[in-house]
Amino acid sequence: MLEEQGPEWMSEEVKTGTTIIAVEFDGGVVLGSDSRVSAGASVVNRVMNKLSPLHDRIYCALSGSAADAQTIAETVNYQLDVHSMELGQDPLVCSAATLVKNISYQYKEELSAHLIVGGWDRRGGGQVYATLSGLLTRQPFALGGSGSSYVYGYLDAEYRAGAGRTDTQRLVVDTLSLAMSRDGSSGGVAYLVTIDGDGVEEKVFLGNELPTFYDQ
Amino acid sequence: MSRGSNPGFDRHITIFSPDGRLYQVEYAFKAITQSGLTTVGVRGEDCAVVVTQKKVPDKLLDASTMTNMFKLTARIGCVMTGHGADSRSQVHRARVEAGEWKYKFGYEINADVLCRRMADICQVYTQNAEMRPLGCCMMLVSMDPQQGPVLYKVDPAGYYCGFRGIAVGPKHVEANGYLEKKLKKKPKLSQDRTIQLCISCLSSVLSTDFKATDLEVGLVSKEHIKFRTLSESEIETHLVAIAERE
Repeated sequence: MLEEQGPEWMSEEVKTGTTIIAVEFDGGVVLGSDSRVSAGASVVNRVMNKLSPLHDRIYCALSGSAADAQTIAETVNYQLDVHSMELGQDPLVCSAATLVKNISYQYKEELSAHLIVGGWDRRGGGQVYATLSGLLTRQPFALGGSGSSYVYGYLDAEYRAGAGRTDTQRLVVDTLSLAMSRDGSSGGVAYLVTIDGDGVEEKVFLGNELPTFYDQ
Repeated sequence: MSRGSNPGFDRHITIFSPDGRLYQVEYAFKAITQSGLTTVGVRGEDCAVVVTQKKVPDKLLDASTMTNMFKLTARIGCVMTGHGADSRSQVHRARVEAGEWKYKFGYEINADVLCRRMADICQVYTQNAEMRPLGCCMMLVSMDPQQGPVLYKVDPAGYYCGFRGIAVGPKHVEANGYLEKKLKKKPKLSQDRTIQLCISCLSSVLSTDFKATDLEVGLVSKEHIKFRTLSESEIETHLVAIAERE
């Protein structure tokens, strides 16, 4: 009582307690995220887009500490800018993922953020890479954030290899919606980014546009 | 202070000579003409164009791997004239500077700011004893979001300026004279006219009829903001148009 330091959220670290997903489909990838940023129990931003561009056809999904994740994304975006100029062509998704992994691993004690990298390049088509704790692995789909634990089972059961674009978009939105309804640190709107050889499509699903399940 | 520096050192490193000249910088300018390629740049009404010669000295050489046109950012392109390796070094540095600017300040660098930065770097080489100036000249073009088409040039002395038209290389004096005449009345040049003016300038001062494979053309325009280089067939179209007008 003697030391009034102000409300809790002034001193709590700002985390993106989050749900992030990336799923590969035939010819591209779909990345999805919720939009809640919390500092302790307070929602600091309810409409944050956690899908950050690393290059024209490569995006990453941010989770963990908001500052750490944004900084990694901005640093890799800068490195890819110069790299693609020197190459004279668009960078590979695995290059972007490797750059993210290098930072995540080198500073793994200081940083607490997990980025999922997804994109399309001419050599490998649609690809998703997970970089948790500084590892690098390519997967057909990847989940991250506090809300992901609630939906691993759903995604494991519903994922179909070789699915098309709209089916994959629906799968991602359904998964996000389920996670957002169970995880206290995820919520708000759902952001979707679909990347393929023709370009990038960004979509927002507002609260009332999200699919509902048995209790809604 | 001893009257110290041996006579003659002023020619070896970048210090002043007794008559106030920097010999190393002057030699750097001479190095630009060593490559034997002349470059012309012109700013049109809605576009900025740079044209340079393409000489393939060796029959075994793969011409598609040889170029003097470089992209620095999506919007800013440049043509390098002079010493090949120095050119690549300067291009790389420019790309890194542009990338750092975007990272630090959150928006893409403008051509005039990048040009000033490269000029400042060139100036440092004219003062440091341990580094020599680069023997190359950078001509930048860009569609500036506020100013429209811009054409800038940086030279080894660290001097930079924006131009309506400029030439560098062995025949730059004659080429600049040609451009001065043609641009005296400040004509409003369309994209095609600008490209053809550059090509005609080179043709005239070098007294050559070019083939499409003898030239490289880079441009930015209102319709196509990103820097690009013309293909052989596009260059051929312009050469034909020039021939028909004569």
